[in-house]
Amino acid sequence: MTSRPNGEPLVRLSGVDKWFGELHVLQDIDLSIDRGEVVVVIGPSGSGKSTLCRAINRLEPIDKGEITIDGARLPDEGKELARLRADVGMVFQSFNLFAHKTVLENVALGPVKVRKKSKAEAEGRARELLERVGVASQADKYPAQLSGGQQQRVAIARALAMEPKVMLFDEPTSALDPEMINEVLDVMVGLAKDGMTMVVVTHEMGFARRAANRVVFMDGGRIVETAEPETFFTSPQSDRAKDFLSKILTH
Amino acid sequence: MSPVFDNIDQFVDGFLTSLEIILWALAGALPLGVLIAACRVSPIPPLRAFGTFWVTTFRNTPLTVVLFFCAFGFPELGINRSFFFFGVLGLVLYTSAFVCEAVRSGINSVPAGQAEAARSIGLNFTQGLRYVVLPQALRTVVPPLGSVLIAMMKNSAVVGAFGVGGDLWSTGASLTSAQGYPTFPVYVGGVAVGYLIITLTAGALLQLLERKVAIAR
Amino acid sequence: MQFRRTALVAALSVVALTAAACGDDAEDSAAEPTVAEAPEFEAGTTMAEIAEAGTLRVGTKFDQPGFGLENLEGEVEGFDVEVAKIIAGALGIAPEDIEWVQTPSSVREDVIEGDEVDMVVATYTINDKRKERISFAGPYYEAGQQIMVASDNDEIDGPESLKENPDAKVCSVTGSTPAEQIKQYLASPDQLTLFDEYSQCADSLRNGQVDAVTTDNVILLGFVSESDGAFKLVGEQFTQEPYGIGITKGDVAFCEFINDTLQENEDAYIEAWESTAGEVEGTETPELPEPAPCA
Repeated sequence: MTSRPNGEPLVRLSGVDKWFGELHVLQDIDLSIDRGEVVVVIGPSGSGKSTLCRAINRLEPIDKGEITIDGARLPDEGKELARLRADVGMVFQSFNLFAHKTVLENVALGPVKVRKKSKAEAEGRARELLERVGVASQADKYPAQLSGGQQQRVAIARALAMEPKVMLFDEPTSALDPEMINEVLDVMVGLAKDGMTMVVVTHEMGFARRAANRVVFMDGGRIVETAEPETFFTSPQSDRAKDFLSKILTH
Repeated sequence: MSPVFDNIDQFVDGFLTSLEIILWALAGALPLGVLIAACRVSPIPPLRAFGTFWVTTFRNTPLTVVLFFCAFGFPELGINRSFFFFGVLGLVLYTSAFVCEAVRSGINSVPAGQAEAARSIGLNFTQGLRYVVLPQALRTVVPPLGSVLIAMMKNSAVVGAFGVGGDLWSTGASLTSAQGYPTFPVYVGGVAVGYLIITLTAGALLQLLERKVAIAR
Repeated sequence: MQFRRTALVAALSVVALTAAACGDDAEDSAAEPTVAEAPEFEAGTTMAEIAEAGTLRVGTKFDQPGFGLENLEGEVEGFDVEVAKIIAGALGIAPEDIEWVQTPSSVREDVIEGDEVDMVVATYTINDKRKERISFAGPYYEAGQQIMVASDNDEIDGPESLKENPDAKVCSVTGSTPAEQIKQYLASPDQLTLFDEYSQCADSLRNGQVDAVTTDNVILLGFVSESDGAFKLVGEQFTQEPYGIGITKGDVAFCEFINDTLQENEDAYIEAWESTAGEVEGTETPELPEPAPCA
């Protein structure tokens, strides 16, 4: 699944800079992600990894540089941007399910309003996706009635319903109780195996080892090191990566 | 109380005129206020500036001045409509600023993640507001919005002084000064009761609505 | 602060002196009605009480040009004010000892009943409804309702033409007698536009929102004279509006005292008119009407 029909990476960031006031949170970022590739972004808190993830669908606007998705430059605002976002799935740390809608409505909303599918068709597809992430029996409940792990799997189904070209995961397991982490990671591994292009901000080494093609290590707003998972975890090149790994692996 | 019962037909007429002013103002101020609130939270800077300008202008100007501008300013500019139209227009413009701020406070009470999730599945700004943010904002908006609307209903008394006439307040003025009825029973027994019928009914409806949106979650 | 206040007083005095020097003599003399020296009254009467108190409380309008209008120095002036001064003089009370109480139309009965004033002189039309709550001395003036239109309006030439032009709007003041009176001349109540003040009616006539303004002739004449030819009066006076002086219900002695005082001071009455409302171009100096019997 790493074929490149047009020779162009699916997601490409070149020379991206972003400031939060005085704080230079993204510094001259260059990153290309190919079709079907799974990239795990790792780094200490405040390293800019979440901002990087959110910049890819312009939840955070950038100040300099260029981001392209499937060869198209990310538009500034308006209809074009909405259309592009429909092609980029996003899964948040805090799930962000629509609190006033049932699980089924959460998943079917985008296809009906954005893809203009019929309600019946969208709900049929939504039930299939809920089946796939293992929460079909919760379809008619409201998000608040579900456990965190269930909510996050619904959020993944909601993103999948748009048939995205790439999926972004912004620390998808950080808000979960430990016993729920694996049910979410299993779904993600399944997606990766099916060839979904994914950018995953996470500290889950296990996931990175099982599913990732590449690990990108960030610190201080820069990409410090890029490597295959095994290489990165066993013999990191930079001092900062060594320091970071020593801290999280002692846990 | 006899001044009221002797003139009950005038009070009923006045009541209906006031009700008419209020219903038109409601039909104008609610959608306009929501629209201005949408401008104020919009991602487009000129729209935000426009929304802020609107609220600043109409929230900080006394109602009588807004009404005065409508009733006398527009005709000076060559725009001639009925005083009823101008009166309702003034009330709508003034109230829309307060509706906007009540709605905006409700929008702000919805976690930012909800709007981000809406955007990330490809909903545009208007869709996100309509399908995701506003329905959730409604729950917190109902009480402050209710106060704004009840204030508007009472403010409709001021419209009567700008050429409209025949509303509850003007009816009271007509009975007391031209027809010589004593002030106290006319205003307390007739005018105040008339407004109370409107505002208490509105209050009860709002309470029902509040209960309804509170359950639907 | 003390210095600034002194300076202000000095400045105002200069202005006042200049104004006095520029004014014509007739105006100055009218401002000084005769004040009786220690008049005698039967004990227990309102007159005795007022003379004893040394002050007369008069309710009048503060916003009615020609009749009762507060000027920039905070003094009220007008025909009603001068009439009140004539009566005060007969009670032995100098103009500066009169307490002026602002009395808009809607509270005129209330301030009399509540004993907040001794009398009300405020373009106060005598009618039976009002007589249920208060008594009237006078009348001291016969006003009459008329219609004012824009100078180029040939459609409306009197109250009767309002029915023939059902789209025509006529403006008056909320709760006023003229507003009630005009209703019988209208094809529908929608023709009547009401404001709090006549000046708003005049503005609306000027900018075309209404086609006519109706109220007492005197008020309308004020607007016509200020309009530089934009407005005109049409038709005859179609009502008799006898202006009375409102006093406590049933106070016959006070009523008769007021009536006698006016009859005895006809010259001062004429002068009062000419120095106030009579200055407006086109008005005729009225004759003092025959007083109605007191009850």
